Amino acid sequence: MKSGPPKNLVTIKGTKDGLTIMMDDRCSFDELKTELQEKIEKDKQVFGHGPEVEVTVDTGYRYVGTSEQEEIISLLKEAESIRIKEFRSEVISREEAERLREEESLTSITRIVRSGQVISVRGDVLLLGDVNPGGAVEATGNVYILGTLKGTARAGLEGNTGAVVCASVMEPTQISVSDVLFYAPDRYEKKQRQRPMFDEPVFAYIEAPDNQISFEKTRLLTQFQNKL
Amino acid sequence: MGEAIVITSGKGGVGKTTTSANIGTALALQGKHICLIDTDIGLRNLDVVMGLENRIIYDLVDAAEGRCRVQQALIRDKRFDCLHLLPAAQTKDKSALNPEQMKQIVEELKPDYDYIIIDCPAGIEQGYKNAVSGADQAVVVTTPDTSAVRDADRIIGLLEQEQTGSPKLVINRVRSHMSSRGEMLDVDDVVSTLAVDLLGMIVDDEEVIKAGHQGEPIAMNPKSRASIGYRNIARRILGESVPLMSIEEKKGFFSRLKGMLGLKA
Repeated sequence: MKSGPPKNLVTIKGTKDGLTIMMDDRCSFDELKTELQEKIEKDKQVFGHGPEVEVTVDTGYRYVGTSEQEEIISLLKEAESIRIKEFRSEVISREEAERLREEESLTSITRIVRSGQVISVRGDVLLLGDVNPGGAVEATGNVYILGTLKGTARAGLEGNTGAVVCASVMEPTQISVSDVLFYAPDRYEKKQRQRPMFDEPVFAYIEAPDNQISFEKTRLLTQFQNKL
Repeated sequence: MGEAIVITSGKGGVGKTTTSANIGTALALQGKHICLIDTDIGLRNLDVVMGLENRIIYDLVDAAEGRCRVQQALIRDKRFDCLHLLPAAQTKDKSALNPEQMKQIVEELKPDYDYIIIDCPAGIEQGYKNAVSGADQAVVVTTPDTSAVRDADRIIGLLEQEQTGSPKLVINRVRSHMSSRGEMLDVDDVVSTLAVDLLGMIVDDEEVIKAGHQGEPIAMNPKSRASIGYRNIARRILGESVPLMSIEEKKGFFSRLKGMLGLKA
């Protein structure tokens, strides 16, 4: 057991990604705040004027909610050269953990999504059945349809631009990935063609340079996901 | 104990009332005891199609509110003793009835009939909810139009949440020459989109319009192709397995001759 002068509650470390402010996770939050304030006032070398530095705030095993984060942000505002890049913590709330788990999970559903019906899922969705015109399937992750997509599919609802919409038979009314939209060709043109849009399963994704929805054969999906 | 079948479609004008009248008539032709219920309160038509409008004294709402007994509101058909009609009220609107009352009326009628055919109003609001509430089975009527199929799909989705089981499909006004040229959806397109069992299809036939005008259901006319379609549906409801009729129109002597000579028929 070490004794002696109290250990610093707030330590500042330089790493190759910029500065990291490490905060002790055993003391009270008020103690932390006072020490941080003292450091800002004293340590002009780091917190004073000068070129802007990106900092990561590492709170260890302390759970820091939004209100505490805001307090730290407002304290660090006084140091003009500091810009907070991110908060890092070893712990997350149960709610967040639940959300992350959902985000990673695959929900599989067996039914026909008919006109006027909407299936909305967190994470990926696997639909065994058709999506009829006027029906919609949406997910924060990927949408996989083992059947015909004639209605609307939305993948990456909360902004995941790497999400895909994959269907055995792709005849969509509308597809969106994140906020990029694709409209089907007009019905008249479709009739003229007399053939399905694609003769094998395809997936829809955002093509990088044009930021447009594009289609590719499903067997090339691994390449696309490896690239991400 | 009878079975209550609701005839519905979502979209208006696809032939719910005509289908109700003719399925009822075709079942009565087979000697079954049938009760038709018109639930289109405020826009009643089934009595007109059946040619019975002059005999209405009490109606569905009167029976529901206890102004008369259900039996008093029933009208006996002029052609069949075993076919009865419970007409809708014309001076009220859909809110004059609630699903509980409807259920009660249907339950009261069930012991006396083999089938109770409920004609549903268009739409998915109160009128639809009333009509569906008493039913054990559902028949969805559509035409091969994109808009009608879309609405049928919506209705099937709603019916799947009821206790009616998977609905059966009737495709009305099939025009073989237009679908064979790809100008219209064909029967296979409709069935594959809706993914429910096909109960039957009715070819587009001017005789149906004529029959409606005369207040005589087309099912009475044994020569009409539409009539045969309705009679086949009735037999399928009774559990017979009847093959789908060919929708090709019969060719006349001259077109067959032309075909033989290799000219375009």
